[in-house]
Amino acid sequence: MNDMINNLLMLCDAPAIGSVDTAARLAKEKLSAFCPVHSLSGKSFYGYLDKGALHTVLIEAHIDEVGFVVTNVDENGFLTVSNCGGMDLRLLPATKVTVHAARSLPGVFISVPPHLSKGDEALSDICECKIDTGLGKEASSLIRPGDYVTFDAAAVCLGDGVVTGKALDDRACCAVLLDVAKRLCAVDCPVNVVLLMSDAEELGMRGAKTAAFALDFDEAVALDVSFADAPGVDSEHCGRLGDGVMIGHSPILDRAVTDRLCEKAKQNDIAHQHEIMNGSTGTDADVISLTKTGVPCGLLSVPLRNMHTPAETVDSRDMQSISDLLVAYLLAGGVK
Amino acid sequence: MKELLRDLCLLNAPSGREDAVRTYLIKKIGKSAEWRVDALGNLIVEKKGRRRAACRVMVDAHMDEVGMIVTAVTERGLLKFDCVGGINIPALMGKRVQFGSTVGVIGCKPVHLLEKDERKKLPAQKDLFIDIGATEKASALRMVQPGDIGTFAQNFTPLNDNLFLSKAIDDRAGCAVLLSLLCEESEVDFTAVFSVQEEVGLRGARTACYEVDPTFALCLEATTAADLPGATEENRVCELGKGPAVSFMDRSTLYDRELFHMALNSGVECQIKTAVTGGNNAGAVHLSRTGVRTLTLSLPCRYIHSPCSVASLSDLKKMKELARRMIDVMADGTTV
Repeated sequence: MNDMINNLLMLCDAPAIGSVDTAARLAKEKLSAFCPVHSLSGKSFYGYLDKGALHTVLIEAHIDEVGFVVTNVDENGFLTVSNCGGMDLRLLPATKVTVHAARSLPGVFISVPPHLSKGDEALSDICECKIDTGLGKEASSLIRPGDYVTFDAAAVCLGDGVVTGKALDDRACCAVLLDVAKRLCAVDCPVNVVLLMSDAEELGMRGAKTAAFALDFDEAVALDVSFADAPGVDSEHCGRLGDGVMIGHSPILDRAVTDRLCEKAKQNDIAHQHEIMNGSTGTDADVISLTKTGVPCGLLSVPLRNMHTPAETVDSRDMQSISDLLVAYLLAGGVK
Repeated sequence: MKELLRDLCLLNAPSGREDAVRTYLIKKIGKSAEWRVDALGNLIVEKKGRRRAACRVMVDAHMDEVGMIVTAVTERGLLKFDCVGGINIPALMGKRVQFGSTVGVIGCKPVHLLEKDERKKLPAQKDLFIDIGATEKASALRMVQPGDIGTFAQNFTPLNDNLFLSKAIDDRAGCAVLLSLLCEESEVDFTAVFSVQEEVGLRGARTACYEVDPTFALCLEATTAADLPGATEENRVCELGKGPAVSFMDRSTLYDRELFHMALNSGVECQIKTAVTGGNNAGAVHLSRTGVRTLTLSLPCRYIHSPCSVASLSDLKKMKELARRMIDVMADGTTV
C-alpha cells in the first residue's frame, strides 16, 4: 500500500502533456522493474507479463493529464493559453502553474481585482485567463507558443489515507497498474497481461485508440477515475469516496467481463460499488472496445473529487480495492 | 530582508491567531530592544536611535493574514467555513489550505457536471467546503474543530531575481520592512507596532495606537497592483517595479497632505496609489485620541488576498529606504 502511495505521489508531481513526457518516463522505468517494457506512438507504452498462456488481457490507464498550451507571449511576461482537456475557468485565478519551456518556469493565473472585475460574472473565455510569469520582456526569449503548462500542486497525503494533488486523473490508476505488475510478475497466472499506459485521453482518447491497435489481446479492462460524492454532486450519479472500486455497467461494456468482475469482487470480499452509464463511458474503454474487429472490455474506476483541478482527491483504499480486484480477476483467468 | 520576508510569508497567522508571527519576531528582536505584548496581542517594540525623537513616531505593520474559520463539520467529514478577511470566490476554488499540520483543499463541483449557466456563475461562499481527507465527521473532528482558523497553503517562489510569488505578502512585507529597520541602527527613536486583526476591521492598531500615543504614524502595507493585461493606465492603482505606493486617500483615510508630498519628494523612487480603494490600519490610527498625522507606504502586490500574490523585492527595498527617511523626518517634527 505504501509503495503504491509513494508511486502515486511521484507520478502526480511529474508532468505528462503533449510533448512533455516526464511522468511517462518515470512510470516506464518503474514498470520495467517487473516486466519488459515497449514504447508505442506518442507517450504510450506497455509492459508485458508473458505467462505462456493462450489468453491475453489488456489492462489500461492513461498517463496524460489536463493542462494548457501557450498561444501567445506578450512583452510584459503574460501568457495567453488554450486549455487541453475540460477546464472550469472560474477556479483558475490565483492558481499556480508550471510552464514547460526551455526549462520549467513558475507562473500564476492572473486574478482580476474587484474594481476591474465584472461583478459576479466569472471569466468565461480562456483567452482572458492570462498567466503571469513575472519575467517581463525575458519571457518571449524563454517561452514559445506551443509550450505546455500544467498545474503546480505537489501531491500530499491528507487524513484517512486520502491523497490530493494534480493529475490524480489518471495517475491513480497508473499507480494501480504498477502495483498489479508487482503482484503478478513472479507468480503463476493463467493469462498473459498487457499493462498499457496510454497518451492523450484528455484530448479525445486518441492515445488508447492507436496503442490498442498495435497490441494483440483477447479482452480488456480500462481503469480511470470517476465522480465521487461531494456537495452539489447528485448522490445518485456518483460513487462514494472510500467505498471501494466502482465497477462500470454500460451497454458499451462487455456483459461477461462486467459480471465476472462483480463476481470476483463478491467472492473476495473486495469493497466495491456500481457505476451505471447509459452508453459512452467517457473513458478509454469507449475506444479500446472498438479496436480492429472489436474486443470485450470492462471498466473499473476510482472515485475522485474535484476532477480536472489542482485539488483532485482520491482515497488510497479505493486504489487498493481496484488492485485487489484486478489481481483476483486475472488469477481467475479473466473471461477465458 | 528577502530571507526575513520568506520566513514571515511561510508562517501561518490568520487574524486572531497571530502567535506564529509574533513568536518569530520576538525571537529575532531578542534583547536588542524593549518589547511588550498588549491585551489583544499587539507586539510593541521601543527602538532606541542615536538621538531622541522630538515627536513620538509609531510605525505599524500588521501580522495577520486572511484565512478561513471552520463553522461546522458535515456527516461526511467536510468542513463548512467563513472567510476571515475579504477573499474572492475564485481565489478559494480549488485551492489548498492548512490548519496547523492538517492540509485540506477547497472542493469544486467537477466541470463535467456543470450545467451551461453554472459555468458562468460563481458559487456562493456558503456552498464551498474544505476537504481534509476525512470520510466521516468523527474522523474530521480529530483533526480540526469548529473555530479553528486556516490559511492558504503555498510555497514562497522566486519568479526571477526581483519578483516573487507567495501567500500572505499582505502584510508580511510590512513586517519584514519593520523588522529589518529594527535590526539595524536607527538615527532616531521610534515605536514599532506589529498589530493584530487588521483584516477583520483594523482592530489591533486601534488599541496599540491609543497606548503608544504618537504624534506621527507610518503604516507599512501591501496594496493591490492592477498592472495586468487589458487594464488601462488609470485603472492600475499602482505597478510593480516603480517603488512603494504612497496613498493620498483610501476608503478608510484622508492622509496628511504634507507627509504625502514629503514622501513623493524624498528622492526615493515611489509612486502615487492612483485609486481611492481599500483601506488599512491608517483608518484606525489617524483617528486615535485627538488624531494622528499619518502616512501609508504600500508594497504593490498583484493578486492580493489570494494564495498566489506577486510582488517585487526592489520595491520592498525602496519601501524600507523611504520608511527610514520618513521616520527621521517625522521624529524631527519639522513639519509640525
